[in-house]
Amino acid sequence: MKRFLQMALVVGLSAVTVNAQNLSFVTCPVVRDTKTVPCWLAEYEGETYYLGKQGGVAQDFYPPQLNHEVLVEGVVAAGPRVCGGVPLQPVKASVLLEINRACNTILPVEDGIEAPQAVPSRDPVSWVRSNSTSETTIYFDFDNDFLSLHTTAAIQRIAEQFLQTKAAAIELSAFRGSSRLSNGKELVEQSGTAALRAMKVQEILAGLGVPQTAVRVRVQAEYRKPDGIEDPWSRKVTLSIKP
Amino acid sequence: MKKGIVSLFLCLVVAAVVLYGQAPAAPFKWIDAGSSLVLPRELSFENVSGRLGVLNGEGPVATKGHPFFEALGPNGRACVTCHQPANAMSLSVDLIRERWTATKGKDPLFAAIDGSDNPSSPQDRESSHSLLLNRGLFRVGLPWPPEKNAVPEFTIDIVRDPTGINRDPVWGMKSATPTVSVFRRPRPAANLKYVLAPDNGVFNVKLGVLLDKDPVTGKPVSMNMMADARAGTLAIQAESAYRDHQQGRGQLSPDQLNRIIAFESQVYAAQSFDNGAGDLAEASGPGALGPLNLLRETAGVLNSPAKPVFVFFDRWKTDSEFRQSVARGNDIFLNRTFWVRDVAHINSIGLANPAKRSCAVCHNAVMSGMDRAPGWVDLGTTNYPTWTEPKTWNEEGELPVFKLTCRADARPHPFLGRVIYTSDPGRALITGKCADIGAITMQQFRGLAARAPYFANGSAKNLMELVDYYDRRFDMRLTTQEKQDLVNFLRVL
Repeated sequence: MKRFLQMALVVGLSAVTVNAQNLSFVTCPVVRDTKTVPCWLAEYEGETYYLGKQGGVAQDFYPPQLNHEVLVEGVVAAGPRVCGGVPLQPVKASVLLEINRACNTILPVEDGIEAPQAVPSRDPVSWVRSNSTSETTIYFDFDNDFLSLHTTAAIQRIAEQFLQTKAAAIELSAFRGSSRLSNGKELVEQSGTAALRAMKVQEILAGLGVPQTAVRVRVQAEYRKPDGIEDPWSRKVTLSIKP
Repeated sequence: MKKGIVSLFLCLVVAAVVLYGQAPAAPFKWIDAGSSLVLPRELSFENVSGRLGVLNGEGPVATKGHPFFEALGPNGRACVTCHQPANAMSLSVDLIRERWTATKGKDPLFAAIDGSDNPSSPQDRESSHSLLLNRGLFRVGLPWPPEKNAVPEFTIDIVRDPTGINRDPVWGMKSATPTVSVFRRPRPAANLKYVLAPDNGVFNVKLGVLLDKDPVTGKPVSMNMMADARAGTLAIQAESAYRDHQQGRGQLSPDQLNRIIAFESQVYAAQSFDNGAGDLAEASGPGALGPLNLLRETAGVLNSPAKPVFVFFDRWKTDSEFRQSVARGNDIFLNRTFWVRDVAHINSIGLANPAKRSCAVCHNAVMSGMDRAPGWVDLGTTNYPTWTEPKTWNEEGELPVFKLTCRADARPHPFLGRVIYTSDPGRALITGKCADIGAITMQQFRGLAARAPYFANGSAKNLMELVDYYDRRFDMRLTTQEKQDLVNFLRVL
């Protein structure tokens, strides 16, 4: 019994440790103006977190939007503050759809607070993962079917590979996800989200010359139980070429 | 002796014309459908700030029998009726008013179908053509629901219908062929290689979807030609203009289509002389000015330090006072950052809202100032509360106002939500999507001095009003001098 309690304590502690590193919360984003480009911040339980800086559509980080709340899912990174905030890395910032006009804070330029000169080094967590030339997974913002520059490029690569190899089929699996916030609340994507993602990717494949009959679509209407850690990777479409 | 002086004078005039290679503008200032003219390679037209140059890159064009210049439908109009060389292949309000006066409103330009506020109104009255005469607007009637999206994401209610067109039993939303009428400026049918150059690749990088394709070639199109991007190719546009504006029936012949496209593809228009800056086409001048540079340059190039949108004005920075002003205007356009905010399809596509950017980030295509990617954005000119119209929707106004209500299961407009008041839903009338409400394709910057008023709804009577709108809309805090610099910069293009 004592041993069991010890084990439970260890498991509990490691859970706490993991949860301490992973943060998920919904808040109004904040823009911090700087002498160069603006930074994007978010506050949670009295702390300010650095999400990323303004860039182009080719960058990995797509910033939030004022007039909207943002779902922040990230891992607290070691190191000094960036642009006045504790860096989260990797971080997924999902703009929530409905308008919230209270989200309207722009902080002025302040001496000593600068945007990072270069994009901080990241793990290879662009929101595309390819195991091989014949298999790729693309990840989505919460409740969203928007395809970023990187994700459309990944779909195009799969289509080209399919056509070049004259493969038999592409398996397309679309998933709906959820997110467990650090305060224990759970968010679940709208029920039709997986179907929308599937339809969008399917349309692109067709437009790129992949016969519709060659695409086997599977829409996963159910969602996995969120854990506050892997949730950003639950909102996805996988594409797999079948010879 | 006197005869000799006259001969010498005439010789000098002819020599001047030959040297400049520009034909006098008088016979070409207004070109009627069916005219028998030969348009020379280069033409020049006076306007308020100098002269517009028009260049036929393939050489002189005989108008007689040419399908761009002949009335192909029954209402007497030709393509040229609304795309006049004197107005940079668009149409200015000044020229429209001149035609009304000269023809007492009988010119085919004022055809009831779209040259009047409402075809059901008495056509002999000036007031029945008020939007064309006051703002240069033609009626654009679009089927509702849209042909490609039978179940749109929003409903449309008419809030204000000053012309009566949208409630008209024959032409309106409850007619036998339900139609939404909006009013828009004609776009220049010149410099089209820049307008039609598609972005790199096959994707609309803003929306993460495929670009439309040319149904003939299968190649991606720019989707930048029309205000709502409903036609992707010159052929589709010509067919649709033939039916909608010339009231033609059936289809254009392949030969007619080919000749129209060939003409449109070789005509360039830009200001060539400015009263303040002088000759804009001089060899040592800025590399983007004048129509010849438009002919020479490559289309589809993205703004960069090595090749800015309108190339370099460096030499003008130490030139005359006016040229210095133009160069400053160019610098503001390229480099002055401000908070671009709440612009759908700019701030909603991963670029942040707000984004601290300059004009040239969106107007990024070299030589045209358009967006190299598909350029429909909701700048705010047509949607409440940033629209150019009266501040509240129930005041008197010239344009219709619609209330659009998005379905609960649809994605809302990113910055206006689910209930939107608009005088022109823009791209949304084609896609049926809430996110597209008020999105209008940005226009090229060339030949501006020749074709006031500005914006798709003709709300800016002059370039200062256009600059003022941006200044207010984005709180740019431009000084009076900076506004004038921008105006001077725009007017030499």
